[in-house]
Amino acid sequence: MDYRKLVEAIPVVKREPLSNKLMDLILSSKNDERMPTQLANSILHHWQNDILISESGLTALLEAAVLLEPDKTIEVFTQLELAGFAEQIKEAVAKT
Amino acid sequence: MVKFGIEFVPREPYWKIIYYAIQAEKGGFRNLWITDHFNNRNVYVTLTVAAVYTNKITFGPGVTNPYLVNPVFTAQAIVTLNELAPGRVVLGMGAGDKTTLESVGVEMHKPLAAIQEAVDIFRKITGGENVVYKGEVFKTAGAKFLFKPKGGIPVYIGAQGPKMLELAGKIGDGVLINACHPKDVEFAVNCVKKGIRQAGKKFDEVDVAAYTSFSVHEDVKKATKAAVPVVSFIVAGSPGQVLERHGIDVKKAEEIRGALRVNDWGRAFGAVTPEMMEAFSVCGTPDMCIERIALLLKCGISQFVVGSPIGLNVREAIGLVSDKIIPHFRV
Repeated sequence: MDYRKLVEAIPVVKREPLSNKLMDLILSSKNDERMPTQLANSILHHWQNDILISESGLTALLEAAVLLEPDKTIEVFTQLELAGFAEQIKEAVAKT
Repeated sequence: MVKFGIEFVPREPYWKIIYYAIQAEKGGFRNLWITDHFNNRNVYVTLTVAAVYTNKITFGPGVTNPYLVNPVFTAQAIVTLNELAPGRVVLGMGAGDKTTLESVGVEMHKPLAAIQEAVDIFRKITGGENVVYKGEVFKTAGAKFLFKPKGGIPVYIGAQGPKMLELAGKIGDGVLINACHPKDVEFAVNCVKKGIRQAGKKFDEVDVAAYTSFSVHEDVKKATKAAVPVVSFIVAGSPGQVLERHGIDVKKAEEIRGALRVNDWGRAFGAVTPEMMEAFSVCGTPDMCIERIALLLKCGISQFVVGSPIGLNVREAIGLVSDKIIPHFRV
C-alpha cells in the first residue's frame, strides 16, 4: 500500500486530529515488537522537529499504526469521517 | 522557582520512552530521570537515545547503584554521555533496592560507605585523576581513563533513611528524596540540611528533589486507578515506623505484602486505602496535584519529580502537567 499517496489525499483540516489519534494508538499498543526501528526513529525525528502532521510524518504514523493495530487504525479513520480512506486501508490489510 | 523533573522506567521500548521525553522537554520539564534496574531495558542505551532526540533537558540515571555497576564503569558511561550532550548530564546514585540486589545474589554491604566511596571515585576519575583508592567497599589500584574526560558532572544521591539523607546533603550536588507526603519530605529535608551544614555549604547550593509516585487526570477516579498498583508496592516495602507515621494499619500493609508475594493483584490493590494513597502518592486532578506540590515546596524542595505511573494515559498526563501544573508555579 502506498501510504504517502493516501496521506496526500487526506484533507489538511483532518491531519492534526488524525496524527493525535494515531499517536495515541501507537503508544497504547501492546504489539510493540511489530514496530520496525527505522520507522520508530522516523516518528521520533518528526516529533522532535514538530512535523508529525507533515505528509512524511503522517505517513510514518499511518504505517506504524497499520502494523501495530490494523483494526483500530480503520476505526480511527471511520471516527474522523474518513470512510473512503478506512475502506482503502481495510482492503490493503485484507491482502496482507 | 521549582524545577519539574520526570521519571521513566525503561520497561517499555525505547521509542515510547523517548517520545514521552521529547514531549516532557517541549512541555517545560527540566530534568529527565531514567531508572536503572537490571530487569528492565538498559538505562544508558535509553539515555543515549534521549541525548540524540532532545536539545535542552538535563538527564541521568535516577538512580544507579554501585553494587551492580562498579563506579568506574558508571563514570565511563556518564562522561561519554556528557560528550554527546555537553552540560546536560547528571549522575543519580543510590544504594539500590535490596530485593533486586538479592535476586542476583548481591548483598547491600555498608550502604553509607559504598555511596560515599563510589561518589569519591566517580569524581576523581571523571576529574582525570589516576585513582588509587582504599575504601571499606571499593578499592582501585590506579584507575585512569585513557582519554580526557570532561568532569564537573553534578551528582545526585537517592536517599530515604536519615543517615543516607544526611550523607546526601553533605556530599551531593543534589538529593533525590523518595517521598510524597509533606511529613516525610519535611523530615527528609531536615536530615539533608544537617549534612549540608556539616559540609559548610549553603542550602540553595544543593538541588533537593521530591521523587514522587505521581498520577494526574481530570477525573480523580482515573488518576487513582493508575496510582493504586504503585502505592500497593510502596506500602509493602515500607517499614513499620513509616506506616505508623501516617496512621496506616500495619496489619493492612501485611495483607498487601502477602497478596503481592503470591501475585494476587486483585487482593493487593483492593486493600489499598485512601490513607495509603494520601501518604505515598501525589494523585488527583491538576488542582489537587498543585495543592500538594505547593505543600512540598514549603518543605524546601527545589525540584519536583513526576514519577511512575504519571497517569492512566501517560501522554495525556504529561500534557496536563505541562499545560496546567508547571505554568501555575511559573507565576
